[in-house]
Amino acid sequence: MEIIFKNVTHSYEANSPLEGIGLNDVSLAIHDKKFTAIVGKTGSGKSTLVRHINALIKPTSGTIKVGDREITPETNNKNLKSLRKNVGMVFQFPESQLFEDTVEKDIMFGPMNFGMSESDAKESAKKMIKLVGLGEEYLDKSPFDLSGGQMRRVAIAGVLASNPETIILDEPTAGLDPVGRKEIMDLFKNLQKQGRTIILITHNMDDVANYAEEMVVIHDAKVMAVGKPKDIFNDKELLTNDILTLPRSAVFAQKLSKRDFSFPQLPITISELTAEIKQQVHGD
Amino acid sequence: MEKIISIKDVTYTYPESKQPAINNLSLDIYRNEWVSIVGRNGSGKSTLAKLIDGLIESESGTIFVDGQEVNEENIWNIRSKIGIVFQNPDHQFVGATVEDDVAFGLENQGVPRDEMVKEVDDALKMVDMQDYKTRDPQSLSGGQKQRVAIAGVLATKPSIIIMDESTSMLDPNGRKTVLDLVKQLRDQQDMTIISITHDIEETELSERIVVLRSGEVVKEADPKAIYDMGSELTKYGLEEPFSSQVASLLKDGIKLPEGYLNEEELIENIWKLSSKM
Ligand SMILES: Nc1ncnc2c1ncn2[C@@H]1O[C@H](COP(=O)(O)OP(=O)(O)OP(=O)(O)O)[C@@H](O)[C@H]1O
Ligand SMILES: Nc1ncnc2c1ncn2[C@@H]1O[C@H](COP(=O)(O)OP(=O)(O)OP(=O)(O)O)[C@@H](O)[C@H]1O
Ligand SMILES: [Mg+2]
Ligand SMILES: [Mg+2]
Repeated sequence: MEIIFKNVTHSYEANSPLEGIGLNDVSLAIHDKKFTAIVGKTGSGKSTLVRHINALIKPTSGTIKVGDREITPETNNKNLKSLRKNVGMVFQFPESQLFEDTVEKDIMFGPMNFGMSESDAKESAKKMIKLVGLGEEYLDKSPFDLSGGQMRRVAIAGVLASNPETIILDEPTAGLDPVGRKEIMDLFKNLQKQGRTIILITHNMDDVANYAEEMVVIHDAKVMAVGKPKDIFNDKELLTNDILTLPRSAVFAQKLSKRDFSFPQLPITISELTAEIKQQVHGD
Repeated sequence: MEKIISIKDVTYTYPESKQPAINNLSLDIYRNEWVSIVGRNGSGKSTLAKLIDGLIESESGTIFVDGQEVNEENIWNIRSKIGIVFQNPDHQFVGATVEDDVAFGLENQGVPRDEMVKEVDDALKMVDMQDYKTRDPQSLSGGQKQRVAIAGVLATKPSIIIMDESTSMLDPNGRKTVLDLVKQLRDQQDMTIISITHDIEETELSERIVVLRSGEVVKEADPKAIYDMGSELTKYGLEEPFSSQVASLLKDGIKLPEGYLNEEELIENIWKLSSKM
């Protein structure tokens, strides 16, 4: 589904002394079946942006089109079920999305809510828990008696179980160990290859470079840049103004540039970096 | 070196759990040391932090903090020395506003009112959150919550800080700023830092890395010795340092010395090779 933000502004506590701007006149298209990364500093508006997509919050002004659904300031909380079936979201803090008394029930909730039979949902829970790297023995545990990274995995399993077309991930790998992070990122990439749209908020620029096809930079409640990671990470203006940080490969290349190496375009993945180095060392 | 925390043969099993989360674990931590605790999800890192702070009670073994045994009698005294930044900042917040929240720990220490206002301001400035004083902490963004949670702990100037993945949601520059700040406080105020982290880059700041697996200490060494383990690190759920990843890809085609090279050393080596051409 194509997602289109048109002049979207969101004020928190509008018309009160505490009023704060979460999004400021944002227009943006997020493309169907692509892997899009959303980056930006702490408090820049990333979570605010994505919460509009499944109407967890409504715009103060402007509209968001999600496929043929339109979300406006007037959208009420009725009839959102079909939207939420199509747009799954893993929250920034997984605990806030866990609520059943067992992991199994928690994962089954979404699918059953959207019409799956109990026995199919049970099967799905078994599959999902393994997909996120936990054993079946976790199904009978309370989701609150888990470690932080285990809770994260259960929250991801719960969202994937409903098989949404569009998957929004708000810093889904925070708290995962590095091996788990790679497995889970590969899992998202595979889901995209199977035709899902993936929207990933992250502070990990290596993950952006390795997995995303498109990239959106948010700064001070506004969209500052949209494009391919390779182009955005080579945008000098964004970098000098401290709006964006680079993947580790690009930082490494910058350091080599001070030592007689030259990179017309900064490499953003480790394979690009090492290929360039080899070429320049061998002089061919 | 003076031991500030001494853990001996400690075992802890959560109610209704079959396996212990901490299994006969022993570990000493020295005053003014920075120790990183790493390991896979579920390896027991947060449980260990809770045991040190007496939030849960070990079923066997002993823990001493600054010369006192962690038990019911000493618990308040011990907790006044330890500041924990919890993995989920929502578990940290008690106040209705950011400033109340940071003030809470100071109030508990009996800091007089006028001093308190200043110390709250100072702590919030340190993490660049002074403009959010009157906000409800629950309404902050993820990274803002983590900053306030850190400020709340720094304000009380504990002699031991335990950070449980407390910078996991900060942007890269913000994370660096906070870690530099902690480093500076450690040097100035003789603090001891225990940092639970999945970020291999962050462990470079520490004197020692402790690797947990299934509630046991499986490795304990200075960062260089740990990084020397190379691809074996993934066995413990860890990532190889970036410079090692680059080096191992380069070795297929370029001759580099054996063993771990940090980024500067690797760049130096690559540069030497290319300038010989
Ligand atoms: N419920 C709320 N009430 C008032 N202000 C809010 C609320 N939620 C968010 N804000 C503010 O809106 C701004 C954007 O917040 P948002 O959560 O979208 O940031 P973010 O880019 O996701 O940041 P982070 O990387 O730290 O998670 C922040 O300044 C935040 O304090
Ligand atoms: N409240 C609890 N009740 C029962 N078991 C628990 C509870 N909290 C954690 N556990 C279990 O104890 C083990 C250790 O958990 P702990 O939270 O210490 O791990 P961790 O190393 O901090 O992991 P993470 O990196 O995911 O935060 C895990 O297997 C976990 O499932
Ligand atoms: Mg956020
Ligand atoms: Mg933990």
